[in-house]
Amino acid sequence: MKRTQSTPADGFDLAELDSAEIARQVEAVLAEPLYWFGVRHHSPTVARHLASALASRRPKLIFIEGPYEANEVARHVVDAKTEPPVAIYTSYRDDDNVLGLNGVLSPAPEIPARMAAWYPLTAYSPEYVAMKSAAALGAEVVFIDLPHYALVERAGDAAKPPPPALDDDALVTTSGFYQQLAAAGGFKSWNEAWDTLFENPHGTDHEAFRRELATFCCAVRRTSNRSTEAALGTLPRERHFLKVIRETLAQRKIKPDEAAVVCGGFHLFLDRNDAEPPPTPPEGTVYSTVVPYSYFRVSEMAGYGAGNRAPQFYQSCYELTAAGRAGDIALEHAIAVLRQMRKGGEPLSTADAIAITHHAGMLAQLRGRSHTTLDDIDDALITCCCKGDPSDEGLKLRAAIDAASIGTKIGKVTPKLGRLPIVSDFYSEISELDLGEVLGKEKKLSVRLDKREPLAARRSALLHRLVFLEIPFAALASTGGDFAGTIFREDWQLKWTPQTEPALIEQNLYGDRVESAALNRLREAIAAASASAGDTCERLVRAVDMDLPDLVPIAQDAAGQAIDHDPAFPSLAAALRHLAVLDRYAAFQGTQRATIEALLVRCYDRACFALPGSAAVPDEEQKGVVDGLVSVADILQRAAPDRFDRALFADATRRAAEDSPVPFLRGAFLGLLCEIRELPAETLAAELSGLARAAPDLMITAGDLLDGMLAVSHTSIMLGADALVAAVDELLQAADWDSFLVMLPRMRAAIERLSPSHRNSLAECVAVRYGLATAAELRTVGNLAATALVARLDAATAAVLQDWPL
Amino acid sequence: MAKKSDSPPPAASPPAVSPPAEEVLREPAEVRYAQQLLALAQNDAETPPANWRLSPRSVLAYVVGGKTLKAKIDGKAVEVPITRKFFGDDGIVERAIVTLASERALLLIGEPGTGKSWLSEHLAAAISGTSTLTIQGTAGTTEEHIKYSWNIARVIAEGPRPANLIPSPTMVAMRSGGLLRFEELTRCVPDVQDALVSILSDKAIAVPELPDSNMVWARPGFNVIATANTRDQGVNELSAALKRRFNYIYIPIVGDQKTEVKIVQERSRELLERYNLPAKLTPSVIELLATVFREIRNGKSSDGVSLKKPTTTLSTAEAIGVALDSALHARFFGGGEVGPADIARNMVGVVVKEDQEDRDSLKEYATLVAKKRGVKEKAWKEFHDALVEQL
Repeated sequence: MKRTQSTPADGFDLAELDSAEIARQVEAVLAEPLYWFGVRHHSPTVARHLASALASRRPKLIFIEGPYEANEVARHVVDAKTEPPVAIYTSYRDDDNVLGLNGVLSPAPEIPARMAAWYPLTAYSPEYVAMKSAAALGAEVVFIDLPHYALVERAGDAAKPPPPALDDDALVTTSGFYQQLAAAGGFKSWNEAWDTLFENPHGTDHEAFRRELATFCCAVRRTSNRSTEAALGTLPRERHFLKVIRETLAQRKIKPDEAAVVCGGFHLFLDRNDAEPPPTPPEGTVYSTVVPYSYFRVSEMAGYGAGNRAPQFYQSCYELTAAGRAGDIALEHAIAVLRQMRKGGEPLSTADAIAITHHAGMLAQLRGRSHTTLDDIDDALITCCCKGDPSDEGLKLRAAIDAASIGTKIGKVTPKLGRLPIVSDFYSEISELDLGEVLGKEKKLSVRLDKREPLAARRSALLHRLVFLEIPFAALASTGGDFAGTIFREDWQLKWTPQTEPALIEQNLYGDRVESAALNRLREAIAAASASAGDTCERLVRAVDMDLPDLVPIAQDAAGQAIDHDPAFPSLAAALRHLAVLDRYAAFQGTQRATIEALLVRCYDRACFALPGSAAVPDEEQKGVVDGLVSVADILQRAAPDRFDRALFADATRRAAEDSPVPFLRGAFLGLLCEIRELPAETLAAELSGLARAAPDLMITAGDLLDGMLAVSHTSIMLGADALVAAVDELLQAADWDSFLVMLPRMRAAIERLSPSHRNSLAECVAVRYGLATAAELRTVGNLAATALVARLDAATAAVLQDWPL
Repeated sequence: MAKKSDSPPPAASPPAVSPPAEEVLREPAEVRYAQQLLALAQNDAETPPANWRLSPRSVLAYVVGGKTLKAKIDGKAVEVPITRKFFGDDGIVERAIVTLASERALLLIGEPGTGKSWLSEHLAAAISGTSTLTIQGTAGTTEEHIKYSWNIARVIAEGPRPANLIPSPTMVAMRSGGLLRFEELTRCVPDVQDALVSILSDKAIAVPELPDSNMVWARPGFNVIATANTRDQGVNELSAALKRRFNYIYIPIVGDQKTEVKIVQERSRELLERYNLPAKLTPSVIELLATVFREIRNGKSSDGVSLKKPTTTLSTAEAIGVALDSALHARFFGGGEVGPADIARNMVGVVVKEDQEDRDSLKEYATLVAKKRGVKEKAWKEFHDALVEQL
C-alpha cells in the first residue's frame, strides 16, 4: 500500500548492474519459504496475478505493506458493505510534545503537532485484492508498514519539518537502471514505461510475472538513489517489516511457507540481516479509520499523491481482463471518451471509435509494445478526433479523455465502522439549519442570507466555518461585507460533492465538531499571522463571521499587538479596512464597539506614521502601497469629521511625496493629496509639465508619475482636467521620439485607469485645446451640422497631423 | 470496369527521379537522401505494408534519425548515418506514419513555417519513394487538377479514350499505391475540396467519359498527405464530410530555444552548402537570431519586458530565411562573416509585411530590449544600431 510522503536524488553507480548477480539475488528471494510477491500500487495486472498466486498458494497468513497502526480497521475494508475506492486514514496528535515539534510543525508551542496519512485502495489495488483473497481463504491479514509518524525526526538543535511528499515510485524513477531504460526505450514517463513493461493483459503465468517484476526491481534497487531511499525512510520501514513478520510468525506458530508477503517490489530485496531495530513510534493520540474515497482523489490530477493517472481506465482493464475481453480495452475506452464528447454535442460516431482503436493498435506496434497502452489510446484519440491544435480545439476532447479516464466512482464504507464525530456534526448541523435539500442534489443551490435574522446568522456562521476549513461545500458568491456595502447580506452557492466528506475527515485532526475544528484552525492561523496587522485583523473578521465569540478577544489582543509592532503601511491599511467592516457590524449589533473603535484609531495613527516608510518600496510592493492609500483615504472620507486626525494623514502623505525617489509612488502620493483636497489639481499638472523642461532621463519618468497620480485620484484630478491635458501636451511636444516611446506604455496604462466617462472628458479637453470643436458643439449638432462639423474636424486633424513626426 | 493499375516499383529499388545534383537547384528528398533510404531498406527487418518501400519503423527511423547503418551502395560496404529530418516531438511523426497506414488521410496543420511541407515531403519520400506527386492548392485549383483532364486535340480527333486522358498526380498515386501530397488544401474553394471526398472514401475516381473503363481504383498503399496553415483555416474551411476523412496532426512552433537554435543551424548549413556560400554563420549569431525571433513572437523578452506582437508569423522557417539572406548579404556585400548587423538588416522585411504597424513592434523591440542589452553586449549594440538604421 502506498502513502503520500516525501523527495530528491543523487548519483548512482551503473557498474553495480551485474546481470548474473541480479539473477542470483532474484532466485534467492523467490525461493525463500516465505512467499514474497512484489507489487506496484493500483496495478490491475499485478492484482490479477497476485489473486491467482494466492489462490494457488493458499497461505494462512498474509503480510501486507499497509499501516501497522490501522490493523484494527483492516476487517472493515473487506466488509461486504464496503465498496472501494476507500482509504485507510490514520492521524497522530502529539499531545505531550514528545517529538518536541509543537511550535515547529504547529503554529504555537501550546498547539500540538498533528500529522495524518491516507492509504487509498481501489478494487484493483493489489493490497485490496490480497485482503479479499485472505478473506476468501480464511487467512489472517497483518499490516507491516512502520507508522508514518515514527519517521518524523524529533526536534534537536536543528529541528526541521519533514521533507515534502514523495511516493514509492520515486525509488524507481530516480534509479540509474530506470533512467537508462527510459532513455533507451524512449519512455516519456514512468507510467508509460510501467504500462509497456508490466500491464500486459494477455499474460497468464503469475510465477513468470512475479519473476519479471522481481528482476526489474532488483536492477532498480542495485542502482537506487540513496537520498531518495533516505527521504522515504526505506530502511527504517523495512526493519519494521522484518520485525513484524518475524514476531507474528513466532506468535502464531505459523511456518514461513504458510505465509505470504505483499509489498512494493523494491522491498523484496530488503536486507534480511539488518540487525538494527526499527524506530519506536512516539506516544500520542493515534486514530485510524476507513473512509470513502473517490476516483478523482485517486487520480494524479487531484494532486494528493498515492494515486494513479486513470483510475477508471485501469478499473476497466481489470474488469475486462477478468471477463476474458482484454482485447476490447482500447475500444471500450475509446467509446467511453466518445460518449463524454457526445454529451457535449460533438458528432462523433462508431466509425471514429473503430478508427481510434485501429490507430492505437498500430501506434503500439510501431512503438514496439506487446499490447496497447493508455498512451497509445490517448494519442489515437487526439489524432482521430481533434481537428486542430490540441491545446485549443482539443480542450473539449482533453476534458472528455480526463473524465473517462478518471471516472466518478465514489466508495462506501460499512456502517459498522460508524461516522467520525465531525462528519456526524456536519450532517446534523445541515439538517438543523434546514439546508438538507443540498445533500439530495448534484446541482448548486443558491441561498441569500440576511444575517439580522437568527436562522440566517447561524447558517452564515456554519458556512463561513466550512469555507475556512476548506470543505468543498459552500462558496460566498457576493457579500456586502465591505465598508461600502450592506454588511448583513450574503449570497451563497452550496453544492455537496463526493469530496465534502473526505475533506471533513481531514479536519478531524482539529476537532470533533465543525465549530471546534474551525476554532482550533483559526487559533493556529492567528498565531501564524502574529507579525502582520493585516492578516491578524483578517482573522478577527473571520472569528466574527464564524461566530466564535471565545476567539474574538484573543484575536483582538493579537490584532492590538500586531498593530503596535507591524511597520508595514500596506498591512496596516489592510488591517484598517478589516476593522472598519467590524466597526460597522458592531455599530449595528451594539456590541464590543469600544474595543474595535480603539483598535481602529490606533491602527489609523500607526498607518499614518508608517506611510513615509513606504516611499521607496520595490516594484512588487508598490501596488500594496497604492491599495492602502486608497483604503485609508476612503475610510477617512466616510468617517465623522472628528473621528480621525485628517492632518496627520495629509502630513504623512506629503512627507512621503517629498521623500519618494520612485516616480510612480510620488505620483500616487501627490494624487492622493489632490483626492483628499489637500492639493489643487493644477499643482499636479505643474509637477508634470515641469518634467517637460527636464533632462531626457528625468523626462521619461513622466509616464510613471502620471500613472501614480491616476492610480489613486480620479474625481478630483478631473476637476483640473484642462491643466492636466495642457501639461501632457507640453510634455509630448518637448519629448523626442525615443523618450516618447519609453514614456508611452506607462502613459497608456495611466489613461486606462480612468473610467470611460473620464476618458471622454479628457478627450473633449484635447479637442477643445486644439480648437477642433467645443464639447457642447460635439454633443448638440444635428445631422446636417454634424456632417459639416466632421468635415471641418477632418480637415483640421489632417493639418495638425502634417506637423507631427510620424 | 475497373482499370488495372500498373505494378508498384519493387521495395528498395533506386529512386525513380535521380537527375545529377548539379543540374537542379533543389533535389527532392528521395534523391537528396537516397543513400539513407537505401540503407534503411537494406536493414529493414520488418515487412512493409503493401506498396510501402519501408516498414513504418524504418520510416520513423528515417525521419527522426540518430542511427548509423551499414549498407552496400554501388557495390561498396559503407556506413550511412541517418540524419534527423524533423525536430520536434517524435510522437507527432509516429502518429503521422500510423495515419498513413490507416484508412484515413493525413492533414498536417500549423502556423506557416513550422515544417509541415518538409515533413510531408520526407514521409512521401520514405513511404512511396517519390515526393513529387503533388498538388498545390490555390484559389485557382480546379477539380480537373485533382482528378484528371483530357488532351483536347486528341479527344476532338479520336474521342475520349484512356490514352487521351491526362492523369492528375492523384490518379498516378492511386494507380501506383503511392502517396499524394496536397499542399495548402484550405486555399482551394470548397467545391474543389469536395472532389477529395469520394477519392478518400471510395478510393476510386470515376471517369464517366470512358464507358468501358470508367473507374480508376486505388491500389493498396494509396493515401493523401495534405497541409494547411492555421492562418488560412477560415479561408475555406473543410466540410464536415472531408474533416471526418482526415486525421489532423498539429505541428506546433518549436517549443524551446535550444531546439530552435539547432534547427536554424542545421538548415542554414544545408542551405549555405546548396548555394555554395562560403559565408560564416557563428553559433552566437544564430543564438541572437533565435532569441530575437522568440521574444518578438512571444511578445515578451526574457527579462520580462512586454512587447507588442506583430501580425506576421515569426516561425523557425522565417528565422532560417533571415539567416540565409544575411549570409548572402555578408558574402556579396560584407566581409563573409555574418554579424548581428546583417541579421538586423534582414529582419525588417520579415517582420514588416502587410501591416506597417509591425514596424512599430520592431522599433519597440529595438528601443526597449536591444538597446538595453547593447549597453553590456557588443553584439546587441551592433544589432540595435543596424536595426534602428533600417527602421
